[in-house]
Amino acid sequence: MLEVRGVDVALGGTRILHGADLTAEPGQLVALVGPNGAGKSTLIRAAAGLQPVAAGEVLWNGSDVRTLRGRKLARIRAFVPQRPRVPEGVLVRDAVELGRAPHIPPLRRPTKADREAVERAMERAGCAEFADRRLSTLSGGELQRVQIAVALAQATPALLADEPTAALDLGATSSIAQLLRDLADGGMTVVVVLHDLALAAAIADEVVVVSEGRTVARGAPTDVLTPRRLAEVWHVDADLAHGGHGRTALHVSWLGARPVVDDRPSAREPDPDPDPDPDPVSATECKR
Amino acid sequence: MLAVVLVAAAAAAVTIGAVHVPLGTVLEAISGRAEDGPLKEIILQLRIPRVVEALVVGAALGVAGVLLQGSLGNPLASPDIVGITGGAAFGAILILLAFPEKVALMPVGALITGAAAGALVLTIAWTGPNRGATARLVLAGVAVSALFTAATTSVMVAFSDRVQSALLWMAGGLSSEGWQTLRVTWPYFFVGFIIAALLARPLDRLALGDDVAESLGTRPRVLRLASMISATLLAAAAAALVGMLGFLGLVIPHMVRLLGGTTRHGYLMVGSALMGAALLTSGDLLARTVLAPIELPVGPFMVVIGVPVFLWLLRGVR
Repeated sequence: MLEVRGVDVALGGTRILHGADLTAEPGQLVALVGPNGAGKSTLIRAAAGLQPVAAGEVLWNGSDVRTLRGRKLARIRAFVPQRPRVPEGVLVRDAVELGRAPHIPPLRRPTKADREAVERAMERAGCAEFADRRLSTLSGGELQRVQIAVALAQATPALLADEPTAALDLGATSSIAQLLRDLADGGMTVVVVLHDLALAAAIADEVVVVSEGRTVARGAPTDVLTPRRLAEVWHVDADLAHGGHGRTALHVSWLGARPVVDDRPSAREPDPDPDPDPDPVSATECKR
Repeated sequence: MLAVVLVAAAAAAVTIGAVHVPLGTVLEAISGRAEDGPLKEIILQLRIPRVVEALVVGAALGVAGVLLQGSLGNPLASPDIVGITGGAAFGAILILLAFPEKVALMPVGALITGAAAGALVLTIAWTGPNRGATARLVLAGVAVSALFTAATTSVMVAFSDRVQSALLWMAGGLSSEGWQTLRVTWPYFFVGFIIAALLARPLDRLALGDDVAESLGTRPRVLRLASMISATLLAAAAAALVGMLGFLGLVIPHMVRLLGGTTRHGYLMVGSALMGAALLTSGDLLARTVLAPIELPVGPFMVVIGVPVFLWLLRGVR
């Protein structure tokens, strides 16, 4: 469905992405993870056709995204931005109705089917109860749900979301997580940028690790988010734990020594017995 | 409600004046049943064109304000801040003073320099760091306006013997020239209003941000360009007719927003068109009756009404 191959992006003379790759199929939930500034947002915007690429290609169902612009592309993928703009005086229902734009011919009014799709989208995204409030009166979490409702009203086979849970509390995060998983299980192609690795591990079929503008690893969360990779990419001493019933946790040695990543081939062998006790001396150094 | 006010203002403006004309006679004149005579002449050749001019210009300035505020995502945008009015003034006065025999070209001159000024401001505001930011846009507008004002002043000094007509024009006044100026400018208004109507829904999408608009199939840059073109046609044609009334374009959309309802652009445009038309028609009526038989230019009157409203609006702005 979505295929991003060898994409380079430069912004203001700085190269943000170097030959990044990304694929996603219907029914699959792919999580983009990586440190701040790694290029996750740029990659997902490039995949959505919102960011022109300097090299490489972005294909939707085999067609280049540049030939698919406008309404055609708007019927294939919806995009949920990281920081939504909040116009004053716009009602939630009216905002969500804008999501129907690709299905309403110019100068026509929304039909009954459009209005029903709007109600369904608000119901699914959990914003039906504040449908008649103004956007400017909503909390960050409520706004994020409105953004998702706009994308759902678009009724596309693919959904791309840039940190859809960034402003949400624990309960709201879990309901959005469930919604994203349900959408994928319902046959949608879902690609999300996530900061929370435990959440990514719990809901994603595949994670793609972005580091310094490159896609450095992809695969099942347990295969990819190893302690070694967490150390290499995020510079933390941490490991991912899986419990029953889809529970995940990230155990991080918050105040522990930063593990030294050695690029020498001998150091690349997996460490059979990682030192559980951080060295107090280097811990002190770390704080400086 | 606005529509009722508008009809009342238009009716009052046709009947009241140096010569009082009963409304019945006006209706007879329009329907062609009135006897020929000076009253019919006054109605058909002076009063009605003037009211139509006020309606069209008021509506155009209101819609231009909505277009600029919506497409730039900036509540301060208006034809005069963006420099269109100042640019248009230069073109109009250049023709008025330097080529008085070609006065029919005044709207065209106003249009060309108005568009040039608008394009210059947008180019400055949309390049370099912090592109499109409110401060950048306003500063670019102020700078370009200053440039064109200086050019206008130079022209006025160069042709100081004819400056009287330019002064009246700059004060912002509706003409009593009958249908002639409207005949020259109507295509600009027509095209401007048509484009504006097509942009109402895309502007709603843009209000949610560039990424959301583009995700929904709207190209933000194309939309901004189209809005700018439409606003320039409307504001420059309005300036060609009545002079410097760009301030109306800033205030009217805010007044409509304050009236409540949603801020969907379809509603804003219709509301601002009605509000602008009603305000300018009643403003003009006041301007030519308060000190009758002396006719005051409508510009200062509009500012007297507009500035207090605007200051009152500013209370709520952080």
